[in-house]
Amino acid sequence: MSGSKPDILWSPHHADRYVICDSELGLYRIGPVGCSETKAGALPLSVETAATLLAINSDTPYMKCVAWYPKHEPECLLAVGQANGRVVLTSLGQSHNSKCKELMGKEFVPKHARQCNTLAWNPVDSNWLAAGLDKHRADFSVLIWDISSKFSPEASVAAEKIRLSSGDTDSGLVVTKPLYELGQNDACLSLCWLPRDQKLLLAGMHRNLAIFDLRNTSQKTFVNTKAIQGVTVDPHFPDRVASFFEGQVAIWDLRKFEKPVLTLTEQPKPLTKVAWCPTRMGLLATLTRDSNIIRLYDMQHTPTPIGDETEPTIIERSVQPSNSLIGSFAWHPTSQNRMVVVSAANRVMTDFTVFERISLAWSSTTSLMWACGRHLYECAEGVGGEGTVEKDIATKMRQRAQSRYGHDTVQVWKNHLLAGGDDPQLKSLWYTLFFMKQYTEDVEQKQQGSKQALVYSGIKNIVKSSSGTTENRRCWSGSDRQTDVPRFHSEERSLALRLCGWINRGPDINVEPFLRSLEGEGEWERAAAVALFNLDIRRAIQILNKGASAERGDLNLNVVAMALSGYTDEKSSLWREMCSSLRLQLKNPYLCVMFAFLTSEPGTYDGVLYESSVAVTDRVAFACMFLNDSQLPRYMEKLTSEMKEVGNLEGILLTGLTKDGVDLMESYVDRTGDVQTASFCMLKGSPGEVVKDPRVQCWIENYRNLLDAWRFWHKRAEFDIHRSKLDPSSKPLAQVFVSCNFCGKSISYSCSAMPHQGRGFSQYGVSGSPTKSKVTSCPGCRKPLPRCALCLMNMGTPVSNCPGTGHGTGKSDEKVDLTRENKLAQFNNWFTWCHNCRHGGHAGHILSWFRDHTECPVSACTCKCMQLDTTGNLVPSDSH
Amino acid sequence: MVLQTLPQYLCIGDVDMRCLLSNAQEALIQTPFKHLCKLYNAKIRLSLTKYGVSIALFRTMDLHILDHRLRVTSICKNGLVNFTHPLIKLIFLRKRTRCKFFSLTETPENFTVVLDEEGFKELQPSEHLQVESSVWLPLNVISNGNASNSSQAVGVTKIAKSVIAPLAQQHVSVFMLSTYQTDFILVREKDLAVVIHTLEEEFNIYREVGGEYSAVLSQDVRNGFQKNGKEAPQPTVHPVLIPPNQFCVMSLDPDTLPAIATTLIDALFYSSSPKEGALPSQDLDCIKFFSFSLIDGYVSLVMDTEAQRQFPADLLFTSSSGELWRMVRIGGQPLGFDECGIVAQISQPLADSDISAYYISTFSFDHALVPEEDIVSVTEMLQQHRKEPAC
Repeated sequence: MSGSKPDILWSPHHADRYVICDSELGLYRIGPVGCSETKAGALPLSVETAATLLAINSDTPYMKCVAWYPKHEPECLLAVGQANGRVVLTSLGQSHNSKCKELMGKEFVPKHARQCNTLAWNPVDSNWLAAGLDKHRADFSVLIWDISSKFSPEASVAAEKIRLSSGDTDSGLVVTKPLYELGQNDACLSLCWLPRDQKLLLAGMHRNLAIFDLRNTSQKTFVNTKAIQGVTVDPHFPDRVASFFEGQVAIWDLRKFEKPVLTLTEQPKPLTKVAWCPTRMGLLATLTRDSNIIRLYDMQHTPTPIGDETEPTIIERSVQPSNSLIGSFAWHPTSQNRMVVVSAANRVMTDFTVFERISLAWSSTTSLMWACGRHLYECAEGVGGEGTVEKDIATKMRQRAQSRYGHDTVQVWKNHLLAGGDDPQLKSLWYTLFFMKQYTEDVEQKQQGSKQALVYSGIKNIVKSSSGTTENRRCWSGSDRQTDVPRFHSEERSLALRLCGWINRGPDINVEPFLRSLEGEGEWERAAAVALFNLDIRRAIQILNKGASAERGDLNLNVVAMALSGYTDEKSSLWREMCSSLRLQLKNPYLCVMFAFLTSEPGTYDGVLYESSVAVTDRVAFACMFLNDSQLPRYMEKLTSEMKEVGNLEGILLTGLTKDGVDLMESYVDRTGDVQTASFCMLKGSPGEVVKDPRVQCWIENYRNLLDAWRFWHKRAEFDIHRSKLDPSSKPLAQVFVSCNFCGKSISYSCSAMPHQGRGFSQYGVSGSPTKSKVTSCPGCRKPLPRCALCLMNMGTPVSNCPGTGHGTGKSDEKVDLTRENKLAQFNNWFTWCHNCRHGGHAGHILSWFRDHTECPVSACTCKCMQLDTTGNLVPSDSH
Repeated sequence: MVLQTLPQYLCIGDVDMRCLLSNAQEALIQTPFKHLCKLYNAKIRLSLTKYGVSIALFRTMDLHILDHRLRVTSICKNGLVNFTHPLIKLIFLRKRTRCKFFSLTETPENFTVVLDEEGFKELQPSEHLQVESSVWLPLNVISNGNASNSSQAVGVTKIAKSVIAPLAQQHVSVFMLSTYQTDFILVREKDLAVVIHTLEEEFNIYREVGGEYSAVLSQDVRNGFQKNGKEAPQPTVHPVLIPPNQFCVMSLDPDTLPAIATTLIDALFYSSSPKEGALPSQDLDCIKFFSFSLIDGYVSLVMDTEAQRQFPADLLFTSSSGELWRMVRIGGQPLGFDECGIVAQISQPLADSDISAYYISTFSFDHALVPEEDIVSVTEMLQQHRKEPAC
């Protein structure tokens, strides 16, 4: 095999053996590294496997192709096709089987010598060996030999003429008469037997693919094509065949043989081997010349060809088993996606497993699934491991949706409790929104509309408009020492303080209620700090003492109180020096900022303002008190952009529900994916423009889709109602119209000028008062409405016999008391019909009919109406 | 019934039989069409349709017009030195040229080189190079169905009746080139319309364009078609020469071509120098004849047994029966390219007696190779043929 590329063949029956043929045949056994069987001379194929050379056969020169006997016995019989067209049977390793000995060395000689291009054993009748030869003007190119045939006597008469090389003739090992001769005056480049029938042979001839039927040799089916090399049948799909020409692979369907069902993208270099994976459906591996990659085509999702225009999709990818150029490869017959690759030079072998593509899918409820090879993995959120890992946002949103998060429109702050009450950002957000709402309501009471718009635009904008700031220096309350700490006041600043929650309504700044509420919540340090910032050092000390003596209180607070009481405004005292250095060791940020405040120069409170562990509300309130008109907006600006950058919801206090707020929310959603909070929060603001922002609309739509995906249809409806209350523009237009059969006018539209859905239907028994609804005919043409298929009453007649809905309907207070049953009763009167068979009636009747039946209630109609409705059988997963 | 001629089928209307056919019934249906099959060299194909049985007469032979544009040239013996470089390149460096069709035949008179236009570019014009002015197209007959007509006669004999004789009648000059693999019939490009018109009765004609075959209908080429109006003169009977050499027709794995390179160069270019004894003459001496062709990657060699001995035996392919051939050289003086019917003259009688043959035309003469065992009968036959015009 002069200068020819190597090839690999797997043993058809021993999954651990293969043969490499280049200039000689080498039989290898593959095994795990370090296995007792593998000797010292084992060649490593991969990290885990090694190969041992078992036998070498160099008896047959000029090898062109090799094929392994398909049957179990004799085990290692190979047919070798030579450059001169002779086919020789040979064996590797020692086999003592008598049949094998008989066959060994047998030669099959064509009438005219020319290269043997391909060999194929018949998988059923293993005595048949098909050989494909080059063209000869007078000879056949496909010869089917019977390996069991003897050197027959009548052939020996003819052999008088035959001048064979000496010694061959008398050995009885030369066969010159093939069983079948096919393809005269043509060349055969590739062959394979078709699994459809033992006697069907597919051959890649010169310029055409031909199917020879040995039952009737005068018949052949053929198609002209250039893709005639390497014909190979998909082992999983006996009608699918691949063949190639230069760089192009054609896939054929034998049932529609006129043209390839698809051709794969052309490679720049000519292909040398194409092989279907025997362990995986529809996976085709191809190799081109001088390449170190194997290209894989996954036709897993290829639909069977239906029309000419359907071009199926193929997933294409490449694998690189080793760095060297690949000579050939062979799939392992049983081990999944595994192949052995031999390099083009030096016979370097690599054991390689193609890693299966992973397909992955998220469920709408936090679990993740992926499939790899024949395995399916599911990754669900752990139920037990709380505290260590934060719950997925989808789980949180689901829980929050169930607890009606966002729907408390009166005590807005309570929403953070509905959300679980453990997220400080959400707490701050909902309190901010609560304070804003409270303020607007106040202002309404006071008939002062001027500030109303401003409130929702955030403190940043409020302080910008600040004017008439007064500055005063107050002495420490409870101490007669004068401070030189200037404090600033203005109307806007006190509004800001209110929004921060420090003070209540009213003109005077009284933080006492706030302090008490903090004490109540056990936030001693924060309360002390707030007291201190209000220049009430004594109150601060008192709070700390209280904290220390409280249940589970920290005794260290007493120490802090002591340190605090030693405050001196001496600029160069030891106290000051020690406090400013030691404060950094305090763990609690509020204690830390208290000393920072006491030890810093007036006007330079960076130690307080930029302490990020202190709540934004407190820092903002502090800034509003102690920063002057030039410092304050700068600080606000800086803090806002910081909040926006990290998506901290506390920043909503600063931005309000403005475009800035949407920016901030955007980075929050980017970070957390919490479209739920974003939707509810932005709906609260409802200063028109914000809700119309495409981002906000996107969050809202996504949240609605999410609810739908969870089958929280009632929740979604509730959300839609909530939304339409806050944002009237979002009310959906009527989507369903009922038009009269006779006049074609909408029966709701014609009688009512209002275009809203539902309104017009009220008189057709759809409203809560079925007793009043008498309209059973079209208001346009007075023709009767169609009858319900079940009760045979005209539509518009209320449902009377529906169990469980009879009571309470006639009561006078039913308009107010829209209980669940009542609502259901209303729906029972609704029109419903099948889009397929056009039969229908009262929704309640139809629903109860299909609880027990699959077919349409109209006799002689066999429509399976309910099964046509893909969502009809789904049950909402939220309880109400 | 309506006889319809389609490019591939001769279709004959439907027979109304709405049942599956037994073999006997099938035979019954086929009987009336048997003579048509003979007439058109066709086969019957029966297929069941919605309306009954459809009978198609299916042509068994395809004629391919190959995608090569060939030139026929001759290099005179003493001018060979000027051309050794391009010739060696064309023979041994397949990858370096785009030439797909190359044939070199050495005769005592000269070297005939047939090659495509890509190869022709390699040859420098020279006083030693004679070029036939027209472009030639190779035709190739492919038996489409199956050669169940177990006639052993192959090569020119097989196509003598169906191709060569009709073309001779239409006064189309042909240039034959047989190889180990197949037989090429070269016709002038300008005669193509006549060729198609003449042969479409019997063949499905395909033309190769850029590697794809497309069916040719005579309408496509009707433009420019005109019968070679002139009445054929009574074909001249050319003298034949039967040298005593035995010839073999062989092939070779192109990959092993380098292994025999020196022998081949020796045989091609230096054959005449050492053994001057075999001078070309009209006596009974052996004549030098050596042909090498490399067409579409296939190698074909024709040489006499003496030359064959110089080659390593295991590399050359030949038939397992090791058959040997004798040559019949046609023509006493150079035949030229315009005379028609020369091939027919020889192939017709051979076909009549079912003797297989190779036929290689060169610039000056035509050469037919017949099996060694048949040479006696061929000689007799040709002599008889010679007498016939006399009487």
